[in-house]
Amino acid sequence: MMTLIRRELLDNLMTFRFAAATFITLLLVVANTFVLIIDYERRLASHNDAVKMHQRQLQEKITYSAGEVRVDRPPNPLSIFNVGFDKRLGNEIEVSHKLVPSLWDAGMHGSDNPFMDMFASMDIVFIFEVILSLFALIFAYNAFAGEYESGTLRLVLTHPIGRGKILVAKYMSAMLCLIVPLLISLLLAIILLTTSTSISLNSDDFLRIGGIILTSVAYLSVFYLIGLLISAATRRTSTALMLSMFVWGFLVLVYPNMILTVIPRPASPDALRTSAFNRIENIWETFDRERKHYLSTDDFPGEDWGYELRGIGWRGANFRDYAPILLYTYRSVMHFEGFGEKDEPKMPHAQKHFGFLGAQTIDAADRTWLIRKPALEEIFIQPADTERIYLKLSPVGLYDAATQAWAGTDLLGIRDFFDAARQYRQSVINYFYDSKVFESRQWFSGDKGAADWSGLPQFSFQRDNIDTNAKRAIPDVCLLLMINVVLFIVIFLIFVKSEV
Amino acid sequence: MWHIAKRELYDNLNSLRFALTTVLLLALMLTNAVVHLQKHPNRLQKYRASVTKSLDGLKARGDSLYDIAQQGPGLLYKKPSSLRFCADGGEAFLSDVVGGAFLWSISGSSGRLKGFWRLDYPVATPNLINIRPAVTKVDWGFIIGYILSLIALLFTFDSISGEREHGTLRLMLANPIPRHTVLIGKFLGALISIIIPLSLAVLMNLLVISMSSDVHLGVDAWGRLGIIFLIAILYLCLFLALGLLVSARVQRRAVSLVILLLAWVIFVVFMPSTLAAIVSGFSSPMSTDELWKRRGQLYEARFARYDTHLPRESEPSKRMQFEGEHVIQEAQEQERLSHEQLAQKTAQAQFARTITRISPVAIVQHLLESFAGTGFNRHLQFIENTQRYARQFREFVADTDRADPESLHIIGVREGMSQKPVSPDAVPKFEDTLSLSKDFNAAAVDLLLLTLFVIVLLSGAYLAFVRVEV
Repeated sequence: MMTLIRRELLDNLMTFRFAAATFITLLLVVANTFVLIIDYERRLASHNDAVKMHQRQLQEKITYSAGEVRVDRPPNPLSIFNVGFDKRLGNEIEVSHKLVPSLWDAGMHGSDNPFMDMFASMDIVFIFEVILSLFALIFAYNAFAGEYESGTLRLVLTHPIGRGKILVAKYMSAMLCLIVPLLISLLLAIILLTTSTSISLNSDDFLRIGGIILTSVAYLSVFYLIGLLISAATRRTSTALMLSMFVWGFLVLVYPNMILTVIPRPASPDALRTSAFNRIENIWETFDRERKHYLSTDDFPGEDWGYELRGIGWRGANFRDYAPILLYTYRSVMHFEGFGEKDEPKMPHAQKHFGFLGAQTIDAADRTWLIRKPALEEIFIQPADTERIYLKLSPVGLYDAATQAWAGTDLLGIRDFFDAARQYRQSVINYFYDSKVFESRQWFSGDKGAADWSGLPQFSFQRDNIDTNAKRAIPDVCLLLMINVVLFIVIFLIFVKSEV
Repeated sequence: MWHIAKRELYDNLNSLRFALTTVLLLALMLTNAVVHLQKHPNRLQKYRASVTKSLDGLKARGDSLYDIAQQGPGLLYKKPSSLRFCADGGEAFLSDVVGGAFLWSISGSSGRLKGFWRLDYPVATPNLINIRPAVTKVDWGFIIGYILSLIALLFTFDSISGEREHGTLRLMLANPIPRHTVLIGKFLGALISIIIPLSLAVLMNLLVISMSSDVHLGVDAWGRLGIIFLIAILYLCLFLALGLLVSARVQRRAVSLVILLLAWVIFVVFMPSTLAAIVSGFSSPMSTDELWKRRGQLYEARFARYDTHLPRESEPSKRMQFEGEHVIQEAQEQERLSHEQLAQKTAQAQFARTITRISPVAIVQHLLESFAGTGFNRHLQFIENTQRYARQFREFVADTDRADPESLHIIGVREGMSQKPVSPDAVPKFEDTLSLSKDFNAAAVDLLLLTLFVIVLLSGAYLAFVRVEV
């Protein structure tokens, strides 16, 4: 057994293809890691700038209603391995009592030239996806077919060795050869990562990278086994080679790009969207009625333009809606720096009014979210998830999905941030309630002391720990492993039954 | 020579790779056509609806020349190309609309003067929140750039090294045939045996598309399709020549295949995006924040100038003159600023595109985009069209004003302009046009480069084959 493995290993190691595989993988991974690190650093710098700017802008606001609490999503350092959605989805969002924030309300900083988005971005997993699968097939195509043709297989089988052992020896040695370039290039990439000062990887991150390596090996093995299968089934090197190349082209290039255009798109979600939007509109119409009712019963002038609360400063109040993403909210901003003497008696009324308005707005926003969340889920998330399942019919799709899950750049990983933002919104609201911010004079005016932002709870977003990543990645990894086992059994059967 | 070509052709026609190529190309082209037929009518409909809406908005603005000039002609839309199935050109990343902007007040504290309309280019990527999986569009650019090049290599990697392994090469060269004839024969044989399935697939694709009543292809479009097909063949020649070159140099066909695939992966798959990513670090265009900051500075300077330089009320005509100039200059300087930012962004993207031309697939995709009327160059043309239109629109306003003898001819102030009603139909309409000659100009460099590559590789293959020992 060991002799066989050694023989095969030496055969593979001394070939041109092994040298080429190692060299090219190293070259591509190292060159791209440089580029990716620079890109990550740029995004991180832009994130830090944004955080600072948002802090400063908040501190400058003298009233609570004018302050916009914004939270920013830091770039994920593992996006270097698989960028996933990290660069594509919004990375800054306003957290306020008037809207429960969702993915669709997020803004984007750090991408100042949209023209550059035309160029596809590349990550390390993509390199493996393309190049290692290709090499796996090149290593496999003549494993059996070559030996059939040259007759050495017959020679080997005259010895008292089981066919299963020969198969295992071939598999083990080729996999060893293929893992070498994978590991060396990943090691170099990690070394490059650790030399960069701005990237800090913790122990969980190394475990995640371990998960990515494991998935890569499983992916590699799938392609090697596909190659072996073709090689064992066709028995001729030239046929096996042609077939392998076309299978590769189909699985890696054609299928992932073609399948999404071929599958039927779900029926237009317009009806759903309209009904959800109508219900949301209703909520805010009720809100507006109650607001007007309150204003009519109280002698406070209110925040509408027709009324007479006039000081030094500015104000604005408007509804904002955007049907495609079911956005609907009411925004009332007061930023006064002082009032005349005769306005003073109005102040307690104003405070009471804004206390009422704040509670009403939160209530309406929460009820909106109850409708909006499932509707958005159905309109946007579900069709996209279906597409992802179709993509997983190819090992390339499985590999991509699993590594995204490990890196935490999949959709779920990004949505974790928005969950955190929603939680943070709740704690901000609780803080506002606890310190009676809505009823305070600082809500609309800074003349008797400016708004105090120092007590505001701090937002911190930690990526979920490795368990969550593993939970999301394991199903796809298991599928990959299952494909491996099935392919191996099929090859074994073909090989055992074949005549030499 | 034809004898050899014919022999190669027959060899290929019976081979597995020919069958697989035909199936693959047919399937891809069919998908491409079906998808185009599904999506294109929607795009056209959306375009027409937006244009109508924009025109309706113009009509609703009333018949005062001042209002029309101040609020502008509305949004200007990019016309969708009917050849989008040839090259998608990353249209999802390019905005299909150029807007206009104006300020409600540009006169400091008095708040009486309104800003005039000027062009305003979109700053953000449209369709940012897209949670669908990212995939390359299966357009002709993809089929030709990626699949066809791979096929070309698979047809040629063993054409010389394979024969050498079998020993048939020696046999053939023992006959009194010059070597270059053998080479050209092989080249032509492979070329024809790929052109056959390619033309089949292309014809089927066009058949499906032109049978539909929703999509209309004009004479111009057919001409463009012809050019695109020729480009595809030129590109095919490039990879055939590369395949022959390596095949002639290398003793064993397995090695030749590995080398070719590596070259393919590097030049076709990795080069374009890696180079673009590297190059994008060289320059940093004006960021959106900076743009807003500079805009704010300009506004403040304007306000200050207005408040200090405004002539006294006792000189109404001088005052009106000043206000008119103030309005016009404000619009001009804002437009210039937004143009400056656009030019910087364009330059960055243009530079990245220039560098990626090292990769033949980038060249062929630029070419297909140019001739299909999509992509970056098309976007630049569109922006140029809107700029030309903006000039035309302003000339229209000036001419209409000049034609009215009662007007004071001070554009920018309501009282200074013609009070005669203007029919909204008289306002020039924006139409986004494509011109083949401009596309040719944009494509010339790429076309020359591609030809150069082909010639270099072909002569390389010739030299390699002539000097090789059998």
